[in-house]
Amino acid sequence: MNTNTKLQTDMEKIDMATDIAVIGGGYIGLKAASRISESGYNVILAPQHNDTDLNFSILDVPLTEMDRIKALETEVANNTNVEILPMSTLVEAKGVPGDFTLKFVSADTVLEKKAGAVVVATDTAVNPLNHIYGLNPAPNVVSLSEFENLLASEETKKEIQNNEKTVAFLVGFAHEGSPLLMKRVLNSVSELVGMDGCSAYVYVNNIKVADDGLERLYKQCRDNGTIYFKLQKAPTIIQENENLSVTFHDPVIRNDIELNPDIIVYEESLIADKTNLSLAETLRIDPGPMGFLQKENVHRLPVNSNREGIFVVGSARDVQGLSKSWIDVDNMVLRVKQLIGDGTKSISTKAVVDREKCTICLTCYRCCPHGAISWDDKAIISSLACQGCGICASECPMEAIQLIDFTDAEMTERIKEAAAVEAPNAPKIVAFCCQNSAYEAGMAAKAFNYELPAGLQLIKVPCAGKVDIHYILDALVEGADGVLVLACHHGNCKSESGNTYAQWRINDAYRKLAQIGIEKDCLEFATLASNMANDFARIVIDMEKRIGQKKD
Amino acid sequence: MKAKNVMIIGGGIAGMTAAWELAEAGLNVDLVEKSGFLGGHAIQYTCKATAECLQCGACSVEKMLKDVVGNDKINVLLSTEIENIEKNNGYSIKIKKSAAFIDGKKCTNCGICFDKLKENEVIIQGYSKNNAPLYAVNREKIDENKIALKDVCPEGAISVSDKASYEDLTADAIVVATGFDPFNPERKGTYGYAKFSNVISGLELERIKRQSGFPARPSDGQAAQKIAFIQCVGSRDENLGNLWCSQVCCPYALRTAESLKHKNPDLDITVFYMDIQNTGKSFPEFYETCKNDIRFIRSIPVDIFPAENDNLNMRLFDEAQGTTTMETFDLVVLSIGIMPNSENEKLSTQMDIALDADGFFKNSEGLNKTSTSNDDIFIAGTAQGPKNIAASMAHAGQAASGVLKYLGVTK
Ligand SMILES: Cc1cc2nc3c(=O)[nH]c(=O)nc-3n(C[C@H](O)[C@H](O)[C@H](O)COP(=O)(O)OP(=O)(O)OC[C@H]3O[C@@H](n4cnc5c(N)ncnc54)[C@H](O)[C@@H]3O)c2cc1C
Ligand code: SF4
Ligand code: SF4
Ligand code: SF4
Repeated sequence: MNTNTKLQTDMEKIDMATDIAVIGGGYIGLKAASRISESGYNVILAPQHNDTDLNFSILDVPLTEMDRIKALETEVANNTNVEILPMSTLVEAKGVPGDFTLKFVSADTVLEKKAGAVVVATDTAVNPLNHIYGLNPAPNVVSLSEFENLLASEETKKEIQNNEKTVAFLVGFAHEGSPLLMKRVLNSVSELVGMDGCSAYVYVNNIKVADDGLERLYKQCRDNGTIYFKLQKAPTIIQENENLSVTFHDPVIRNDIELNPDIIVYEESLIADKTNLSLAETLRIDPGPMGFLQKENVHRLPVNSNREGIFVVGSARDVQGLSKSWIDVDNMVLRVKQLIGDGTKSISTKAVVDREKCTICLTCYRCCPHGAISWDDKAIISSLACQGCGICASECPMEAIQLIDFTDAEMTERIKEAAAVEAPNAPKIVAFCCQNSAYEAGMAAKAFNYELPAGLQLIKVPCAGKVDIHYILDALVEGADGVLVLACHHGNCKSESGNTYAQWRINDAYRKLAQIGIEKDCLEFATLASNMANDFARIVIDMEKRIGQKKD
Repeated sequence: MKAKNVMIIGGGIAGMTAAWELAEAGLNVDLVEKSGFLGGHAIQYTCKATAECLQCGACSVEKMLKDVVGNDKINVLLSTEIENIEKNNGYSIKIKKSAAFIDGKKCTNCGICFDKLKENEVIIQGYSKNNAPLYAVNREKIDENKIALKDVCPEGAISVSDKASYEDLTADAIVVATGFDPFNPERKGTYGYAKFSNVISGLELERIKRQSGFPARPSDGQAAQKIAFIQCVGSRDENLGNLWCSQVCCPYALRTAESLKHKNPDLDITVFYMDIQNTGKSFPEFYETCKNDIRFIRSIPVDIFPAENDNLNMRLFDEAQGTTTMETFDLVVLSIGIMPNSENEKLSTQMDIALDADGFFKNSEGLNKTSTSNDDIFIAGTAQGPKNIAASMAHAGQAASGVLKYLGVTK
């Protein structure tokens, strides 16, 4: 067990489990297992349901690649470095990177496994959207998947061809859709218009052509006779048994246009696997929009979750086809190698708990955005998982946590120094700057000679979440005329909520200052990106102007 | 065992990412960049945040540049091109170093050369503070400025010779990350780009916003109040034979528009488009916000006419009325797209790897788009086709992963 103690040296040598757990046994999970084992690690593969049953077209697999992909199943099944668990559910995940203990339940057996890292590779699911159009599924009103199946079977395909069917496709009115869906529609359309006598009408809102080859395919279908109606809202559809009618208003010719197709194909959406949310809860990772397992935050890209050692790939994190999902798999392999290496690692400690001060209130456990904290009889910080943001240190009511590079004693010293620097005839401004964003922007503003206040001093912090309320008040007490806390934009904090903590503390400070009759003007919170020297300069100059006028 | 050596051609976000990943895996990397700066196009971009980050990815480039510059396993070769590549048990590569360049080891970033030779335009400044050195010699202006260049630097950091110099390097594998060319909007003559000063490209708007924080009009430096974005300029254009969507111009236009609007709620923004492409998982929500803030017109204007005060007139079709009206804008932004790098043909011959019908590098395997017909050459980023920053990075990661697999580097 890697326990932090007061006496701990800065470097810690850690032995890690080198088995890697992969959750999800579809073609993304299989590829993950295969690539991890090629890199020299053993794999525990935990299928969630009948993952490989998924329709190939949904994963956007070229026909030419089908056999190669199917071969993955045998390859992985015969791979002695891959242990395939029976269909199971992950019910518990304990531990830290390099040392996770996972509990799977399968039928009525419980399987406990050790893993150095966990890869979530769940599949996507298909959701038909007929109800949004008010359509009832019928032999002549089918979903995109069903239509793909009709074309895939020789028998039903012939029937369509022999009856010279006219097919209307509805795309992009029930939801915005994606290039992945658009490609499926266009593939079906392309096949259909290639059949003598058949025709295709595509009623579409925004044509999502933002992927390789799609614009070409779209134009090809048009040249082969497909008619596209680009509309801003869904056409009016009447479904009366055999009879179908689709009508829309054409604004140019100012007329209604009605057509009577033989078949209507309605769109589907690709949604997150239904197990994602419970996996997120068990693994303590942040779910993102629409049930996918990654928040929209560029620091997480491509395959990171908020917890070190837990990776999310493919359709577990976004709507993605196989090609893009396998890009994720390759990136995940890089991250696993970087983390686990050959199984031992010397790592510098970023944060330590003073075991004498810790009263095990678990504030730190709750606030750590990276799930880096566990406990025995005191809080323990995993050096591998800790990202050194310092949120815990600033939140701990017992002041029991210190960051090695930003101890409170050092910070107090830096604040004192900064507030002591005199600039003639200029207000003194102390700016606490997150090292990921505002500090970079500030240094850029200097490098590019933007006009900056003469009395400006920057104090680098690992994350705005490390700015204690004491720091702010200290800076003012030590003589600063103004204090700025400059964080990352919301949604861009590497530690997810560091900027939010900082903002809360500023609000707290406002209240405290108000009690002693000091005006708000001398304290400001703002957000910035590393590349915006200009915004940095504007914010600090604005503050100088404001407090400068007050001083005069 | 000697650490393997990989050459990466092109130091944009894709090349930098591949370099960093391989260096992290313990390999030695030569990163060859033709221009005087690392970072490629994306190091020039502005943050597009509103009250929150809109996930444009621009700041990831800043971070990667910093990481690459600080990594001693990456040998950065600026102002350098590939002269010749020969395959023999790996590759022998002759590189060509520009006749004049700034030596990063000696340059102190004092900027004296830049200030003194401002009029000659022979020294250019990097976009990021992490560009090392922060200045470079403009290759187009070397010949007429050789003498001035020789004496200007007090540190003697500017190397000037009669001719380009050559050096031989070896590599066990190659990653091609030579990126894209932005569409040159002069090719769409009726938009009056380069004729009317307030018709600018999306790339220029990126630089302007990054530098000054607001949409400064080139004609007078004033903040524009009424802006039009024209989408698909150069992309999805049958007349030009460009049968691809550039994938990035809807996202950058919408994000920038929202970001500008956040700073100045009175700003009047119109987007002319054919189809709006997604920005990411939160696109449905984001698009709703956009629809509240921005006027969307689903038609692409054909002409732009000059108007008083360097303003611009455009004809628009009003769907509700079914009529056409003329409207005036004070800034028009052409959302230019991603074109294949004009050097791709030369590079494809040098390396004996194929291009696709559009002129991007062709992947040899259906599902792995970093693969080429040479199993020791990989493609990364927009060299393969349009991609945003995040996708270029992920693609480069896959290329790096492929290199490691090819070289047999396991845990
Ligand atoms: C106007 C505009 C705005 C955009 N905005 C965004 C945005 O907000 N968000 C986003 O995600 N994406 C955006 N993009 C897309 C983004 O620019 C690309 O994803 C990214 O730049 C691709 O990186 P790259 O490394 O593949 O190519 P590049 O950026 O083109 O880099 C290629 C590098 O290779 C070098 N090179 C070229 N040829 C050679 C050679 N022969 N030898 C040596 N070196 C060579 C070049 O000098 C360059 O440094 C935008 C694109 C445009 C046009
Ligand atoms: S410093 Fe940040 S990442 Fe590390 S344990 Fe504390 S809250 Fe978690
Ligand atoms: S909007 Fe773009 S540059 Fe700004 S913080 Fe977000 S990702 Fe970074
Ligand atoms: S991303 Fe948008 S603007 Fe760019 S080519 Fe595609 S549709 Fe046109």
